[in-house]
Amino acid sequence: MIQPASAAKYPLKPGWRLPLPSRPFVRFLGRRLAALILLGVGITFVAFVLTELVPGDPAAANLGQRAIADPAAVQAFREHYGLDKPLPVQYVVYLEHLVNGDLGQSEQSHRAVRADLAEYVPATAELAVTSILIAYLLGITLGVISAVRRNHLADHVLRVVSLGGISMPTFWLALVALYIFFFKLGWVPGSGRLDPGILAPPHVTGLFTVDALFSGQFDVLTNALQHLILPASVLAAYNVGLLTRFTRSAVLEVINNDYVQAARAKGMPERTVILRHVFRAALPPIITVGGLAFANVMTGTVLVESIFAWPGIGQYAFHSATTLDLPAIMGVSLFVAVVYIVVNFTVDILYGVVDPRIRVA
Amino acid sequence: MIVAARRPAAVVMASAALAAFVALTACGGGNNTTTTNHVLVIDKSFDMKTADPQREFEVSGGIVAKALYSTLLTFKGSDSATPVPLVASSYTASSDAKTFTFKLRSDIKFSDGTPLTSADVAFSFNRLINIKGNPSFLLSGITVSTPDASTVVLTSSTANPAIPFIIPNPALGIVNSKVVKAHGGTDQPGADKSDTAEAFLNTTSEGSGPYTLKSFSTTTEVDLTANPSYFGSKPFYNTVVIRNIQAPTQLIDIQKGSNEIAIDLSSDQAASLSGNTALQVKASPGPNVFFLLANDNPKVSKITPNQHFQNAIRYSLDYASYVQLAGAGAIQTPGVVPSMFLGALTPADNAKFDLTKAKAELAASGISNPTVNLGFPSDFTLNGISFSTLAQKVQANLQAAGITVNLTGSPISTALADYRAGTEQLGLWLWGPDYPDPNDYLVFLPGQLVGLRAGWAAGADPSLEALGAQASSSTDNTARGQLFQKIQRQLNTDGPFFPLIQPGQVVVATKGVTGADYNPTWTIDPAGVGG
Repeated sequence: MIQPASAAKYPLKPGWRLPLPSRPFVRFLGRRLAALILLGVGITFVAFVLTELVPGDPAAANLGQRAIADPAAVQAFREHYGLDKPLPVQYVVYLEHLVNGDLGQSEQSHRAVRADLAEYVPATAELAVTSILIAYLLGITLGVISAVRRNHLADHVLRVVSLGGISMPTFWLALVALYIFFFKLGWVPGSGRLDPGILAPPHVTGLFTVDALFSGQFDVLTNALQHLILPASVLAAYNVGLLTRFTRSAVLEVINNDYVQAARAKGMPERTVILRHVFRAALPPIITVGGLAFANVMTGTVLVESIFAWPGIGQYAFHSATTLDLPAIMGVSLFVAVVYIVVNFTVDILYGVVDPRIRVA
Repeated sequence: MIVAARRPAAVVMASAALAAFVALTACGGGNNTTTTNHVLVIDKSFDMKTADPQREFEVSGGIVAKALYSTLLTFKGSDSATPVPLVASSYTASSDAKTFTFKLRSDIKFSDGTPLTSADVAFSFNRLINIKGNPSFLLSGITVSTPDASTVVLTSSTANPAIPFIIPNPALGIVNSKVVKAHGGTDQPGADKSDTAEAFLNTTSEGSGPYTLKSFSTTTEVDLTANPSYFGSKPFYNTVVIRNIQAPTQLIDIQKGSNEIAIDLSSDQAASLSGNTALQVKASPGPNVFFLLANDNPKVSKITPNQHFQNAIRYSLDYASYVQLAGAGAIQTPGVVPSMFLGALTPADNAKFDLTKAKAELAASGISNPTVNLGFPSDFTLNGISFSTLAQKVQANLQAAGITVNLTGSPISTALADYRAGTEQLGLWLWGPDYPDPNDYLVFLPGQLVGLRAGWAAGADPSLEALGAQASSSTDNTARGQLFQKIQRQLNTDGPFFPLIQPGQVVVATKGVTGADYNPTWTIDPAGVGG
């Protein structure tokens, strides 16, 4: 658990300090890992129960109009995916396989769910990381500018722009962006991760930009970056707006505090005051929102992926849900849980990094 | 005041970022740098599951399998009425339509150079049967024998004149049996559990078609390259890229020229391209038949089995408005067999909208202020037509006649369960052809697959069932056609089905592309496309 320690014991000093691992930290890490396991089990249980409650049949959703009328085909399908067993047995079998890292076989792709995730997660991660970097860079910068220039023209403009970023539906923005920057201006290529006919670089990480760099295929790297710019920017729009508004609010909370005034009175340059005293003090809420924004981007890209034909986890989750593909649904659910837990964990650690008064207890 | 933006370092970084963006975007702009005149890019919204021909039965999978694997018989272009030899040099049918003998060409080799023999055909067909997958029903009740290396005999347990129309299906593509066996394939009973060749066939094609598999993904794209050993005419495009692109993006792509063919555009989207001289838009009636059903089972509804009530529905539907809603290429379907197949009815048989008759029939039914539920897949759109929109139209039409309709649509995965269980009072669904023969539409008769979904049990209409039995075993196509027309006319008066429309099937291609013809069996044949 994160608790603010005594401010007197840990006086706030300028500068960045990385806390070294300590016994409480190890306990904290252990608790988080235990939570991860418990949450994972809980999620698999809830997903199993909910899938059973849905008045649909995976066989009906996956077999064709003729095959579903053939008892032999239906039986073969049920046996193959273990659906012929009672639900509690299915669940126990699933957990047994899960312990061995086996997430089952997808009914839609006919492949191991683990293999599917290994293919789709890097695609989404590449998009999400690029998107969130854009969002952090723009959102935080604009938020600080907006706060510093409070009630000036720049502030008014940025508030309207950030509101627009939050308000615009992503699918609409994606189509408009594709129309303008691809169709009208021709600045960026259209959909997909690479141009047609360009083969993916040899698989190392699954991130095409990184793999192309590793293999020295700079033409592929350039092409991958061209394809990445537009969807990542569209995906970033919401978070730019969100981070701008949160950063502005957080900076305004502290910008007139006594220690800031004291720093100014000591004759510190305004840039130093803003970056080392104001911005740093404003960081914890920004980190919280930024972390959640990253988790949201990692798990909520379905519309952008659909419009830009981006083969990521969003499209996989959507197809899994519409075909009642239970193993895939479970795999995606676990992935989402892991993302949120890791992001929250990282955010907790970052609290301690940016504010030495906060330590694990 | 913040001054960071004024610092030289920040200015340099911002300039560098801008320069990098400009450099990247300057050389962007689609696939101009990589495509050549001989790369065919087809945009399709994927329903892809596998490249294994004996397991695929999806639209996207059919395109791929058609390009990779040859079949005994095929169709030319958009025709689906005349099967012609491909791997077979000739075939004969017995007079009872139970035995079909195919003589194979001797000059056909797989892409690895291995000669194609009857053993490969038998392996492929038996594997399809024993895998018990989606396409297995195609050879239901059929046994395969091979008297010699160049002869294949199919023997059906019942008369099956549709076999020549079934054989061109890409799921019956012939695989190299030795190689597939070596990678876990089997055609023996129990193949549903023991066959493990699918993963292999998703990475390598083992066929004799015009293309070989270069790369395969169920989510991004499938890349094909010309098969140098192909026995037929060499395809114009030596590389084919089939991309998974949603319809709105296809619309932008095809106008930008970053693909040659777009398959999933709706009629409305196609209409927006009129006047674009760089494109050719082909909109023709597709093979899917959208229909309404009224359940004949009194346990499901006391109202819907009433013959007068069903007639009231028949007259209350404003058919022209459904055609208008469906857009370019759509037609009213006079019967359940689509217009391009043997035995289809003509527009003269179209049901007519007549609200006065509808109200009279409702009065004759003796049911006052009827209220019924209409089930449909609320999240399903095909050929650009949303079933939710169609359902609302049905609701409005029936309301005008005095019938209150509660819309009880649900996501397709759950709606299918009710439909297939035969528990919907009214249902709004479609039937897509499994093969281009009217035998595929016998399912609408009492006691058959779709008939049962409408609560129409066997024995409910003996004369119609007798006609069905006669049509299914007739070997003379002229007589079959007449029988199927007779069946449909009787269905239209006595049956619980109300055929609505055949939506338009739109194929958009860039100017200069030839042969982008829609075929109901495989959608598009990449090898048939020229430039």
